[in-house]
Amino acid sequence: MSSAHPIGASKTQGASFSARLKMLLRLHKMEGKRGFKELFDNPFSNFMTVLVIAIALALPAGLQVMLDNGKNLSQSWDGASRISLYLKMGLSHSETNQLADKIRQNLAVDQVDIILPDKALADFSAHSGFADAIAELDNNPLPPTLVIQPSKNYSTPTASEELLATFRKLPNVEQAQLDLDWVRKLYALLQLAEKAASALGFALGLAVLLIVGNTIRLSVQNRREEIEVVKLVGATDAFIRRPFLYTGFWYGLFAGLLCWIILEVSLIWLQDPIANLAGLYQSQFTVNGLNLTQSLQLIGISCSLGLLGSWLSVGRHIRHIEPR
Amino acid sequence: MIQFAQVSKRYPNGQDALRSVNFEIASGEMAFLTGHSGAGKSTLLKLICLMERATSGQVIINGKNLNKVKRRKIPSVRRDIGMIFQDHRLLFDRSVFDNVALPLMIAGYEHREIGRRVRAALDKVGLLSKEKSTPVMLSGGEQQRVGIARAVVNKPPLLLADEPTGNLDPELSAEIMKLFEQFNQVGVSLLIASHDLSLLAQMHYRTLVMKEGRLVQDQTDQALNFVNDESNLDIMSSDGYQDEHYE
Repeated sequence: MSSAHPIGASKTQGASFSARLKMLLRLHKMEGKRGFKELFDNPFSNFMTVLVIAIALALPAGLQVMLDNGKNLSQSWDGASRISLYLKMGLSHSETNQLADKIRQNLAVDQVDIILPDKALADFSAHSGFADAIAELDNNPLPPTLVIQPSKNYSTPTASEELLATFRKLPNVEQAQLDLDWVRKLYALLQLAEKAASALGFALGLAVLLIVGNTIRLSVQNRREEIEVVKLVGATDAFIRRPFLYTGFWYGLFAGLLCWIILEVSLIWLQDPIANLAGLYQSQFTVNGLNLTQSLQLIGISCSLGLLGSWLSVGRHIRHIEPR
Repeated sequence: MIQFAQVSKRYPNGQDALRSVNFEIASGEMAFLTGHSGAGKSTLLKLICLMERATSGQVIINGKNLNKVKRRKIPSVRRDIGMIFQDHRLLFDRSVFDNVALPLMIAGYEHREIGRRVRAALDKVGLLSKEKSTPVMLSGGEQQRVGIARAVVNKPPLLLADEPTGNLDPELSAEIMKLFEQFNQVGVSLLIASHDLSLLAQMHYRTLVMKEGRLVQDQTDQALNFVNDESNLDIMSSDGYQDEHYE
């Protein structure tokens, strides 16, 4: 479409530029409305199309919601990447404090807590239920311990592992431990899930394009005669394309809304079992649904896919329809 | 208005639909195109409205050489040509008004202007009272007149009609022809393809006769010499459907 002739009107005809622009807007409004109404001319099959698109979108979107929640969960459990340094037996208070101060100077460290052997033993006897047996002990078998909280940048599995290696070499350190396993597993799982979500999102996005494209192709074929007629009276491809683009857009919009509803309902349905599960771990964790931005993104993506699918399809198919 | 110079058309299947056709129709002229089915009438009309392209030779419409018209410029050529078809080619899911308004909507006319022009065109063909009907509710003659209103609503300088009276009885055909004459009187050029010889005999206009892809007769004379001309005998005998009308 050239800018001088907004809908490809010929120069010989009387309509002025502003009149054409007005008419173009009017046509858009009309075609939009007509496409909307047409959805209800054939409610069952159109609903099916919308439902299929919605489900195809709900899978990756649902996975994304799970991932976001998983990330929240792993962040709230940052403390788990703590490093415990078990010091040599019989180390004096001052030596322990010296070591703690030294470690505090490390930029990678947020916080160092000192657990002295007496305190450790007291805690242990209070919580373990072996109080009587412990009371029988001649001397305290527990070493002094430093609990180190790495700063945020050093909480990733690799960074905290490096940190652990540094601390292990310190004098007076008997043993250094990092409860890494589950953190590493969770990270790996999240990374895998993220990759899977992207792949799934890509594949299903493609599927949505194909679904919309195919539906539009059928619709183009059904309206073959009409297309021939409007071509004969001088319609440009853009003019013919417009109603189909609107149909694609409406598919996308409704599928996006439906997908959003599917997700929200599924989350409500999952809420109770998740609360139960979280309760078992003494966690206040609750599942978050889509926020406003994410909801708008979902619907935006859905509309774009609908529009793009119909664009790709209609352009190819109306070219082949020539009046006979 | 229409200029054919050495125009040939060979379809991909090897059929020669037109062979070196030469003729010219002046601006404001009204002419008939006749010949039996398969003589090349439809192909000739299709070349004018770019539904087909000439294999060789030049078709010049309204000063525009159609050989040089690119695909995306085809719509603008068609907007200057009003086309009328035997099968009307109306959109059955829209009202009469919307059918007639179609060319104006495509050309981007303003809403009020569309209403005014559509009603004027419908008034011209005597269907103003039916603007809200759908084409299904109309008779064949009325449908044809809707088709005509659609063709003229844009005020194109050239009207093409392909067997416009093919499905109509002689009385209705005569009415349609009267309409065409009225358009011609206000300066519109017309080319009407028809094998309705009785109708042609009544109308005293230039007639182009085609046979096997060639233009075999070009008579401005009102007294088309049907009986003495061999090619026209052909026309009559080759088309059973035709004879009914001729009787």
